[in-house]
Amino acid sequence: MAELPVIDYERITTVHKTPLEEFYTSGHRTCQGCESAMVMRDFSKAAGPRTIATGSTGCMYVANTSYQTTPWIIPWMHTQLGAAGASAVGTSAGLRALMRKGKIPKEKINVITFCGDLGGGDMGLSGISGALQTDLDLLIILYDNESAANTDIQATGLTTYGAQTTFTPPGKKHRIMQRRWKKNVAPMLAVGHPTCRYVATACATYPQLDFLNKVRKALNVGGPTFIHTFDPCPKGWDYHPRYSHELGELGIRSGIFPLYEIIDGKISYTYDPHKKGRVPVRDYLMKQGRFAHLIDEDIDYIQGMVDTMWDEWEIPGVAPFKSELQLASN
Amino acid sequence: MIKRVEVNYRGIFQKSLGKYIGSDIVMIASRMGKVAFSNGRYSDSPERNGIPCKYFAFVSPDLSEEELEAECGAKMDIDEADVSLVMDDTMVKGVEPWGWHGVRPINEKVHQKGCLLVVTRKSHDHLLKFIARKPFNYRLATLEGDASLAGLWVFKDDLTRERSLGAIAAVDPGIISIEAVEEYLFAKTKEKHRAQAAREAYDATLRRIKLVTPEQGIDWPYEIPVLPKWHEFEEGGVVVPAVPRGFKMGPKGQTRNDMFKRGTTKTERPVVRFDLCIKCTLCWLECPDECFDPTEDGLYDINYEVCVGCHKCAAVCPIPECIVMVDELKFEDNSSPWKHHIRDPQGYIQWAEEKKGKKRIHYPYVTGTGMEYRDGEVVPPKEKKRRRRATREADGAH
Amino acid sequence: MARIKEDIKEEFEVWEKEDLLNGCQAVSHGVRLADVDVIAAYPIRPYTEVMDVLSKIIADGELDAEYIIADSEHSQFEIVKHASSVGARAFAGSSGTGWMYGFEALVVTATDRLPPLFLVGNRALDDPGAFGVEHNDAMAVRDMGWLLCWVTTAQEALEHVLIGYRVAEDKRVRMPMGLAMDGAFLTHSQHMVQMPTKEAVERFLPVYDLGKRRLHPDNPISIAPQVNEDWVMELRRQNWEAARRAKKVIVEAYQEFNGIFGPRYSSPFFTEFMTGDAEAVMIGLGALAMPARTAVRRLREQGQKVGYVNLRWFRPFPTQELRECLGRFKAVGVIDRDFAHGSPDSGGILLHEIRSCLYPLEDRPNIINFITGLGGRDVSIDDCIRMYDLTLQAKDGEVEDEFVTWIGVRE
Repeated sequence: MAELPVIDYERITTVHKTPLEEFYTSGHRTCQGCESAMVMRDFSKAAGPRTIATGSTGCMYVANTSYQTTPWIIPWMHTQLGAAGASAVGTSAGLRALMRKGKIPKEKINVITFCGDLGGGDMGLSGISGALQTDLDLLIILYDNESAANTDIQATGLTTYGAQTTFTPPGKKHRIMQRRWKKNVAPMLAVGHPTCRYVATACATYPQLDFLNKVRKALNVGGPTFIHTFDPCPKGWDYHPRYSHELGELGIRSGIFPLYEIIDGKISYTYDPHKKGRVPVRDYLMKQGRFAHLIDEDIDYIQGMVDTMWDEWEIPGVAPFKSELQLASN
Repeated sequence: MIKRVEVNYRGIFQKSLGKYIGSDIVMIASRMGKVAFSNGRYSDSPERNGIPCKYFAFVSPDLSEEELEAECGAKMDIDEADVSLVMDDTMVKGVEPWGWHGVRPINEKVHQKGCLLVVTRKSHDHLLKFIARKPFNYRLATLEGDASLAGLWVFKDDLTRERSLGAIAAVDPGIISIEAVEEYLFAKTKEKHRAQAAREAYDATLRRIKLVTPEQGIDWPYEIPVLPKWHEFEEGGVVVPAVPRGFKMGPKGQTRNDMFKRGTTKTERPVVRFDLCIKCTLCWLECPDECFDPTEDGLYDINYEVCVGCHKCAAVCPIPECIVMVDELKFEDNSSPWKHHIRDPQGYIQWAEEKKGKKRIHYPYVTGTGMEYRDGEVVPPKEKKRRRRATREADGAH
Repeated sequence: MARIKEDIKEEFEVWEKEDLLNGCQAVSHGVRLADVDVIAAYPIRPYTEVMDVLSKIIADGELDAEYIIADSEHSQFEIVKHASSVGARAFAGSSGTGWMYGFEALVVTATDRLPPLFLVGNRALDDPGAFGVEHNDAMAVRDMGWLLCWVTTAQEALEHVLIGYRVAEDKRVRMPMGLAMDGAFLTHSQHMVQMPTKEAVERFLPVYDLGKRRLHPDNPISIAPQVNEDWVMELRRQNWEAARRAKKVIVEAYQEFNGIFGPRYSSPFFTEFMTGDAEAVMIGLGALAMPARTAVRRLREQGQKVGYVNLRWFRPFPTQELRECLGRFKAVGVIDRDFAHGSPDSGGILLHEIRSCLYPLEDRPNIINFITGLGGRDVSIDDCIRMYDLTLQAKDGEVEDEFVTWIGVRE
């Protein structure tokens, strides 16, 4: 919508420059220490009042707007579990048509939609792909707490290998029922949609302000954009809510959840383990009850997979290809 | 005749515990030749950490199973309880499980002859400083112990389950008898100490039952909300007005969802030493419930009505002793700590330290266990394999 | 033909031109004339052509609308639902299993009380894959809070896009509109169609205005917060009320339409053909009307007192009107181009609606049921004559044992 006035968002350089006003406010039925609630709070804070949000079914629907009440100050609408992409397209296309035809005033209105890992990473993947192929201004945020948390923690395509969920309980015969490696969603979308100018991963609270600024960057870049957030979940991961920030930080610093942004095809690492190093995944895993049943060899396996991601992938932590040079030498 | 037990528990943290106790009552009553069944309050699910929830058990010596179901089957809540068991004493300050219904008294369902049974280390009088008056006499009993908080996957087996059963037998043998409890626990686990824990709790609780008269307790203007008729609210796809936009500096300067405050989720609240604060903003920045109100002097007031006690602020605060989590039952109101600090800085510090006391709790990572892991060291970045191979090839070329 | 504007006394043309159009093309022009803002397309026979034509209409600049090529029917329907929520007039459509693929979205569009218009080019449901007409696809939304009507000609199709939007968007209604059309027969056969002028359409079809329910930063609301058992019944009750109010709004719409475009519709919900002194009539939906009415004419020449009732609006169901109409006859043959396997008497869906509609009458006509034309099987004039014979026998209660008859199946 080039012809429209653009909100030119400033980069938030210090915590003291963070906007004080809330657009997602107290009175939501989320868990103590819910990091997905942080994602809601921060994207609306970063985007501001001229924003329409849609959200697909999941915790951030059922918990937020429980019992005919709402914590939203910006306009918000529910959309179906697999419909995040379509809801963004419909909302944005509707606004663009009405503005172009002079039925409503021309102005920049942000369209931001959010979906969980079940809704976005599994069921809604094709709808999100469809949205990223359009030329509409929209931002899709996949808030990833690594389970279907709203239905009391079932494994999804984005659940960490080995985790206990109600679909993957450890048993007498099988210690590990969650044998799928986490789906690599953000790069899949980046690789598959060359005209999508902004794809990023983020963690709401680590590094400080990073997510707020990535939201603003996405809105500034414009067109269809995508951010995948890593949300520690005290309920499903089974840790004391007190440690939500620490778990997020450990997830990043252990390298199990790579942090980067891809702007116009250029990747830059928000946390680059090759420079900053990685803490052992054990320090991340053993602080969560969902991994309490793992034994050393499981942890070594996960550590090995993470090492491979960073040391052998052609694009470390992003694209699971190994260089021809290595293939030739095998 | 029907005996109704409601187990008030903390969402997720005590989910398994609440369900176990409900199921145990059914098993024990059945072994006593009674008809019984149990269910959770459906509207609590999906549960969220800390939010007050309920599990029910219904027992009858004379009704058929069908009649019992018909009387007590899935409802949004029960009408009255013979025993209201409270698994975490901070819930005596009232419970707000959902929107619209407001903060409800913990003894709302306890009827005449009924008993409010609280797991606590507090005295009856201390608890009664928070509990609503009832128009009739009822009993208040306590089971000495701390709230047994666990997680979804790792259960804390600290005998609270067994002890609760003993206590229920003590306050109302018409539901389950202590002999039946002991027999059941031993038959089930073959472990003497479990039956013994129930017996000890039984004996102790018998000595801790007090009669509460209509004079005791506090005024509580609670009324069950009258929801609008179908033609009294905006039609079509449940459209509700957004929270009105509004922010100004200072206490309660931010607009919030008035229909659902959910402060009754917390077991502990953050106490702030404003004099130590370096104004780093992290408590405010990291709060998932938007309960901090920025003030003109660069500090952050706390709205305790909406604080859910998640501990995050205390965890991220870089200054030792600046934010400490304190037992919710040490507080009788939700007034603004910042206003107190402005009014009387010295007095506030004294007040804060008195609340904090000397003891500091260590919180394990995995709630149900005590297991602790020290942070590991940083692994230095590995040299890229490709480069290594390249040099090897170079050497080979020599 | 020209009309006078009441407000400013000047003449304006009602009809622009006449064109040879099939059903799909006619609907496309209805969408163009309704100045639709957002269109979501996804291909499936036989409805697809409406989207082919619309894309060309947009390419040629005859309509300014967002044309979204969706990734599935589910997305297609969600896109128009959300476009509708911000105040955009939206259009989508589908057929057969495609319609069923998007079913979840169809359900919530109704409970969100949003009024996009959908074309259903009726098609048999898989398996096996078949392209011919069957009404089960559109019928699937009949209990979900939808407006649902069948048209019989390309001309009606075009006009019902305009009538459909007007009814659906009325603030007393606000329900999604299903415009059903027999696959192949109507979607693909061409007829001369009169094209209204934009000016006339603007006088008939008001601007789409969601009022307090429009999703926009200037009107901050939350749409569809989660509720539990303490709210749902009231919401269902509201939807029921809207469905009841819809009937009045439909009647108004046809009056206004006739006022502007001339007396085209004798009655809104169904049209009667040679029923005046009839003793036995048949009732059906859609293109069946053609062979049925021809059969009536031929039987009338032989002195048989038969007639045909062409049902247009299936939701809201014109209970009282049909009760008065069909109550006059001795026998009613209900033609179903659908099936309801295992339902009472294993009859068709329309049968059950008609039967419960007539049940309160003290002196009920005898009712029999025909299942025919499934999967696009041709329903010939002779088939209709046979059905009329059976219906005539039924007026003397002679065919009790053949209550439900399959017509045109090899046996």
